[in-house]
Amino acid sequence: MNLVEEWGITLAVFLPLLGAIVIVLTPKGMESIQKVLALAATGAALLVGLALTFAFEHGEPGMQFEKSLSWIPSIDSNYHVGIDGISLPLLVLSVLVCFLCIIYACWHIPEPGNAKAFLALILLLETGMNGSFIALDLVLFFVFWELVLVPMYFLIGIWGGENRQYASIKFFLYTLFGSVFMLLGFLALYFQSDPHTFDMLLLQESGVLDIPAGLASLIFGGLALGFAVKVPMWPFHTWLPDAHTQAPTIGSVLLAAVLLKMGTYGFMRIAIPILPGPAMQFAPVIAVLAAIAIVYGALCCLAQTNLKRMIAFSSVGHMGFVMLGISTMTPEGFNAAVFGMVAHGVVTGMLFFLAGSIKERYHTYEMPELAGMGLKIPKMAGLLAFCAIASLGLPGLAGFWGEVMALLASYQPLEGLDPTIFRGAMVVGAIGTVLTAGYFLWMLQRVNMGKISEKWKKVKLADVETLEYAAWLPLLALILVLGLYPRLIMDTTTSSVTALTETITGRSSGDDAHVAQVTDH
Amino acid sequence: MPDGYFGSYLTLAIYSLAMIGLVGGTLGLNRLVSPKVPGKEKMTTYESGVDPIGSGQSQTTIRYYMFALLFVIFDVEAVFLFPWAVVFEEIGVFAFVEMMIFVAILALGLLYAWRKKVLDWI
Amino acid sequence: MDVNFEALLPELLLTLVACGVMTIDLFLPKEKRGLAFPLAFIGVLATLAAVLNLYGQNLTTLDGMFVVDRFAVIFKIIFCVAALLVFAVSQAYLNDDKDVPHGEYYTMMLFSLLGMLTIASSRDLIAIFVALEMISLPAFILAGIRKYDIRSNEAALKFFLFGVLSTALMLFGMSLFYGLTGATNLADISAGLAGRTDIDEVALLAILFLIVGFGFKVSAFPFQWWVPDTYEGAPIPVAAFLSVASKTAGFVGLFQVMFLGLGELADMWRPMFAVIGIVTMTFGNLVAIQQKQIVRLLAYSSIAQAGYMLVPLGVASATDGALNTQIIFSVVAYLLVYAFMETGAFAAATAFGRKTGKYLIEDYAGLFGRSPALAVAMAAFLFSLAGIPPFAGWWAKFVIFKTLIEGDGLVLAVIMALNTVIAMFFYLAVVKKMFVDKSEDTAAIAMPRSLAGAIGIAAIVITVGGFLPNLFGQLAENANFF
Repeated sequence: MNLVEEWGITLAVFLPLLGAIVIVLTPKGMESIQKVLALAATGAALLVGLALTFAFEHGEPGMQFEKSLSWIPSIDSNYHVGIDGISLPLLVLSVLVCFLCIIYACWHIPEPGNAKAFLALILLLETGMNGSFIALDLVLFFVFWELVLVPMYFLIGIWGGENRQYASIKFFLYTLFGSVFMLLGFLALYFQSDPHTFDMLLLQESGVLDIPAGLASLIFGGLALGFAVKVPMWPFHTWLPDAHTQAPTIGSVLLAAVLLKMGTYGFMRIAIPILPGPAMQFAPVIAVLAAIAIVYGALCCLAQTNLKRMIAFSSVGHMGFVMLGISTMTPEGFNAAVFGMVAHGVVTGMLFFLAGSIKERYHTYEMPELAGMGLKIPKMAGLLAFCAIASLGLPGLAGFWGEVMALLASYQPLEGLDPTIFRGAMVVGAIGTVLTAGYFLWMLQRVNMGKISEKWKKVKLADVETLEYAAWLPLLALILVLGLYPRLIMDTTTSSVTALTETITGRSSGDDAHVAQVTDH
Repeated sequence: MPDGYFGSYLTLAIYSLAMIGLVGGTLGLNRLVSPKVPGKEKMTTYESGVDPIGSGQSQTTIRYYMFALLFVIFDVEAVFLFPWAVVFEEIGVFAFVEMMIFVAILALGLLYAWRKKVLDWI
Repeated sequence: MDVNFEALLPELLLTLVACGVMTIDLFLPKEKRGLAFPLAFIGVLATLAAVLNLYGQNLTTLDGMFVVDRFAVIFKIIFCVAALLVFAVSQAYLNDDKDVPHGEYYTMMLFSLLGMLTIASSRDLIAIFVALEMISLPAFILAGIRKYDIRSNEAALKFFLFGVLSTALMLFGMSLFYGLTGATNLADISAGLAGRTDIDEVALLAILFLIVGFGFKVSAFPFQWWVPDTYEGAPIPVAAFLSVASKTAGFVGLFQVMFLGLGELADMWRPMFAVIGIVTMTFGNLVAIQQKQIVRLLAYSSIAQAGYMLVPLGVASATDGALNTQIIFSVVAYLLVYAFMETGAFAAATAFGRKTGKYLIEDYAGLFGRSPALAVAMAAFLFSLAGIPPFAGWWAKFVIFKTLIEGDGLVLAVIMALNTVIAMFFYLAVVKKMFVDKSEDTAAIAMPRSLAGAIGIAAIVITVGGFLPNLFGQLAENANFF
């Protein structure tokens, strides 16, 4: 157990990287060996993740399994990692989804093949994603954050759909644009802190109280830009539908399930605790944007005929709920956000898996052509219905808690925030849930029901296959379990998010005390 | 006299202008007042009293260029050798070695020229 | 006069090697002229050993003109390593191109390298000038060494004319400083300038002239016009040599003159570098977007890279030594990384071009299918140049950003940040060609071991360096005169 506590999170990050290197070194064409290697690497990471979950002191607010090693002394940056109740669920989500993606890849590698490169890139991607969730040093975080760009670009660019070139470059440039400003924000934080440090925890504790308000808002803006593009918050979301639609199935799953969470996680881990003052200022703006995203996402979904693109737009809406939860700055809101992230990861990840498998059979995402799927491949249609209903937030399934808690939390945001704006956002969000239900049900009607089109009448299509079940069952089970027993996550997160809110209130009042002190002089 | 660093340049500029004016003025005056009676003999190029043959832009063999280059090398060498010889007694062995290195490097150039058949006539 | 031969050993050794290679080549029969490569390679290795032997020492000789300190030694190491990589690339290139004389090629490279080693140690205007000339003159010849190719002639002539003009101006600038202070030694100049207030216009003029000279060397706007044509016309390894070693030498001279000699006048030259740096990177990146030819793309990208490295000088301070230390640290760090990623990119372009005879970006289509290793390496170099983790380029950009923000150059940092996004566009265009597009040609690209080795080493260094940037960081921290 000691190994897990000491090196567990590091292993979870670097085992996939090791796997990627080994896979690259194997000769071309040994596809089965490469698949086994990839399974082993992600499986090992998953085991480490589960071991971490058991070793974790649930209910403790602080960082656990912390580790700090000298990394780049010339710029005062350390390999400082650790996880708390907020990062643990996301880390576990990431290792789980990656493992399932590899299983799915064993079933099917998309055109134009080349298992070696495909698997190695997924493993590299996993390293970047896991690393982002454990990094406690801004530079380290930045490296992991950017590390996901290259593999994701290739996944979309090489194995993507028709319009993959445009989508992949758009994805890359958008994210890069956001992240360079995030980087400048990190550097500004470094120089504003005393003593200069990149350490998130130190910055949170003592760090940057004395920044002039204008500069603090500017820095927060830079960070928020980087994170908001990744989330993506409306109006920075336009890369998302293209990237999702064009990405190969596994790319979409990872993008939806994990990558987007890096943005919201960035808000909760970096932007808000380090700069609580500006965070409070910006909170109403975020709430309004989130509300817009919810409705906008839903309306766009209603307009789609492409199944995958519709799911992509539904992500915009769901991430809107997450951001709404965050913007309230209350423990309930943060809890809703973390829960929403995990639920969205599981549910939407699953939806993308289904969309991919449907495409494998029908060779299209166009809903009119898919009509009558319930008659053709009933198991697949059943799963689609299950996930769609989970996604629209039916009580008892995973999607419900995140949304309803975010809405509840925004009725009474943290003291100091104007409740009217948040209540307005709540109402808008509630309308959004209705629209969400609308488009999902309509989608089910168009896809599962109806008459089988002439083209498919004579063709025999395979229903869900064993390997697909293997990749999906854990997610399906999680949808049910999380829906019935939300405490599974809440027990872990509550103490950490409460501490987060305390940081905000403590620091805000600390700010007041500081201001009072200054005026006294 | 104007002062300062650029002031001295101003002096130079005034002086240059005066000189250009003087030369230009006399030549211009000459052009204005002299009688002009052009003839065929008068218009030919002056080549040491010999009648010019062929076009003015005849080609010269590249060898002359090579020789010019080699000449410059040894010319420069000589420029350094003379002052060195004058003070040779005072600075002694060190200078001797230094100059030998210098000459050796130049000799290397000559060796190169020789191996590349630059020195062969025709 | 006292001469410390120990301090001069690398230079003396290299002189012998250069002369030796030339002489031996003269007497070699035609079919054995390939021997020049191993001789030159081993000679540079020996020189590198002599340089490493000096690490950590502090020696001064030739009346303070020639100094061996960590700054000098680390740059000498960079130059030697860059030369070795370029040699390895050259060997493959020369074996294909029958018109290029081997002996002269390596001799000229060695002499140019000699100038680079010298400039790293020079602490005197005259020494710096002589060293710069020693770098440039062989480089002119190298650019035109494919003498039957009209493009190569153009490359050499353009390079030569720009070079001579800028050198002349720089020499004038130097003479002005000599006139102002009566000294050519940088420390004496600095002492002579201290507290002087009566010299504004002259000093300004002199600094401008100096910047012209160095701006030409590092290919800063508006002295960069020769770069694309020269890189395109010259043999590709020569272009790599120019864009890495020669540019680095320009930065070395720039540091020495600006920080050691003219540190007092930082208020005067700081804004110039800020403007030049910004314009250079923006120009390089914007024009690079439109390029269709890989070498020209790399040329413009190398102009932009020069801009990134010039900007930190735009926050220099006359009084704050710690900030200046940070500036030098960041640019040295960038140069270290740059040496590998730029050489690597040129090497990959050589590997592709020599087999296919094609240099258009379009021709790179489907390279991933043809030669995955080469495509991955090229992509790594390009991503590194763009500053994307996990390749070392991210760290190089990071330290520059850090310096800019430390020096209150937030505006500069923001413009540079936007530039990195613009740059990503054209780097991605090449990556896209190689990985996404398909080609009819499916033959793998074969390459000799030396070339593959150079590409492999560069790729490994920038990848490992991306995860453990302190490998570069420690070197760069040591390379400081303050």
